[in-house]
Amino acid sequence: MSTSDAIVLTGVSKSFRKSTIRREHTTLKSELVRWLKRQKRPEMPSAIIPALRDVSLSVTRGKTFGLVGRNGSGKSTLLKLVTGIYSPTRGKVEVHGRISALLELGAGFHPDFSGRENIFVNGIILGMSRREIRTRMDEIIEFSELADFIDEPVRTYSSGMYARLAFAVATHVDPEILLIDEILSVGDEHFGRKSAAKMEEFRKAGKTILLVTHDLITLQRRCDQAAWLDAGVLKVSGSPVGVVAAYRKAVAESEVLAMEQHVPRAPDPVQPRSGPPAEPGRRWGSFEAEVSGVEIHGRDGPQHVFSADAPFRLLARYRRYGVVEAPYLELSLRTDGGTLVWSSTAPLPDAEGATLALEIPRLGLGDGNYLVDLSLANAAGAVYDVQRGLYGFAVRAQNSSGLLAPVHRWSIEPKAG
Amino acid sequence: MIRNLRELWQYRALLWNLTQRELKARYRGSALGFLWTFVNPLLLMAVYGLVFGIIQRSNISHYTYFIFVGLLPWLWFSTSVGIGASTISDRRDLLTKVRFPAQVLPATVVGTNLINYLLSLPLMVGLGGLVGIWPDYHALAFPVVLLVQLVFTLGVTFVVSALNVRFRDLQHIVTNVLTLWFFVTPVLYIPNAVPEPFRRLYLIANPMAVIITSYQGIFYEHRWPHPRGLAIVALGSVVLLAVAAQVFERRREEFAELV
Repeated sequence: MSTSDAIVLTGVSKSFRKSTIRREHTTLKSELVRWLKRQKRPEMPSAIIPALRDVSLSVTRGKTFGLVGRNGSGKSTLLKLVTGIYSPTRGKVEVHGRISALLELGAGFHPDFSGRENIFVNGIILGMSRREIRTRMDEIIEFSELADFIDEPVRTYSSGMYARLAFAVATHVDPEILLIDEILSVGDEHFGRKSAAKMEEFRKAGKTILLVTHDLITLQRRCDQAAWLDAGVLKVSGSPVGVVAAYRKAVAESEVLAMEQHVPRAPDPVQPRSGPPAEPGRRWGSFEAEVSGVEIHGRDGPQHVFSADAPFRLLARYRRYGVVEAPYLELSLRTDGGTLVWSSTAPLPDAEGATLALEIPRLGLGDGNYLVDLSLANAAGAVYDVQRGLYGFAVRAQNSSGLLAPVHRWSIEPKAG
Repeated sequence: MIRNLRELWQYRALLWNLTQRELKARYRGSALGFLWTFVNPLLLMAVYGLVFGIIQRSNISHYTYFIFVGLLPWLWFSTSVGIGASTISDRRDLLTKVRFPAQVLPATVVGTNLINYLLSLPLMVGLGGLVGIWPDYHALAFPVVLLVQLVFTLGVTFVVSALNVRFRDLQHIVTNVLTLWFFVTPVLYIPNAVPEPFRRLYLIANPMAVIITSYQGIFYEHRWPHPRGLAIVALGSVVLLAVAAQVFERRREEFAELV
């Protein structure tokens, strides 16, 4: 271990007993009854819930480290381990330096006491000495912008005032290591900027910051290092750009999977006419012919998340059950908000079945989630199979927004005007 | 135990602030304000004085004053243990969000009630003055007895508060045990009223009996506390606190997960 690291986690695992999570408490009575009956404590392996599995990471002194992950991925557990609120089930947590954790604003606030009085207790809980608090009192009050309200009981505060006071105290603790659990989003825009400035000040002062956030822009803008936790496992750690890219890709993939998870089946093809529509609004038609399956591919096989420049390939399997005249397949792409992006029609061969392939060498769409609408019909007005938004994909593009991502190039003209 | 108490010392500012806050919170926004501190012991004293002094006709002279001398320290003890039982299990907001030594919480309860006790002492002395019993030089032993009771009360409160995190019914058991304990402690009667064969056992088995009789010795009978009895209780209390601190430390890891 090098001394340039402020926080080092080595092979850290943390599990909770299920009874803890379901908040079932053992009572003396039940324990006594169990003891009298000479029963063993029922110890089911399923009663153990792992929150973190074998996580190793180190935070360099003076750097800002960002932690991302979905809800329940173990981020807060990790912060609590570093703080020392929890102790690890396995592994080692080392912290070098005075630590201050902003896991929740206003820990220990008492509603009946004035802001000023609460600054004292909260400050001490956060690790300041009485003298430190006294010397910083004016500064804290000024930062909170509570002015005359500071001597009113905290219960009369609005939630914004409450948060401002709590944040003001928290940021005036002078730690070497600061742990922050997504609280920078308190208050109005003005206060949000002040908070951000305060954090920047911490960074410049060479403090180590461990930040848990959902805000990927914050992560990229403010962090020097980053890691992504998923279901208690450290997926990626390294530069914020790399971590954010990996995280966004995974989130997009799961979003697309969630969009697609329910694909209504066509009714029994043996008796197509008598079958009711599979699901009104999502799939309907006479089902004398159907699109029995769609696959979306990238360069090397099935893929759900694309970059704007990636090749796109869609395969649609077609089957015919009855007499179908001159059918065609219409394919439309729309955003998940419903805006039509593009539509195209292809004639179908006179065969029992076929697989149609649509090739787009460069997708050229902007950042967003997209849905595929299919419609199997003919010019005479027969509608065989309509599928709305049963398949989808996502495009993740950085540094651009909007629907389109045309081929483009920026350059500087040698001599302007 | 050393580590436990050292941390407590490091966080003395928090301990002091929380204690102050508890005291202030007790009378803030009430008409009687600070006088509330006296209402409870006075009321209890009036009830017991009525029942045992007038209806049952106790033969102890200046009976109401006698009750008061024993009742005040008993209230310090029983309130600390009774409220202390749930002091950790109730503070989910603190324990799961900030790292700080949890022993501050039970210590705050004990400290708050100690100050309450000390503040009601002038009332006791005044009441004694009314019946002509002023404290004399025997009061020099008072700080010693106070210290012994502090150690003992801290020990009991630590254990009870730590165990109540896992065994939530403990606080209800404690409430009932305290009621029983009150009546086997010589607050309303003198130890000599206990039948001879049990008297020794009675004093050995109940540290609070020794402590309460010491106060009564000092303020009511004007004699020194029984030195050997008090020494044994003092030693026992230190051992209890050491064990309590150990139990507390062992349980501490589960506090954040269980509360």
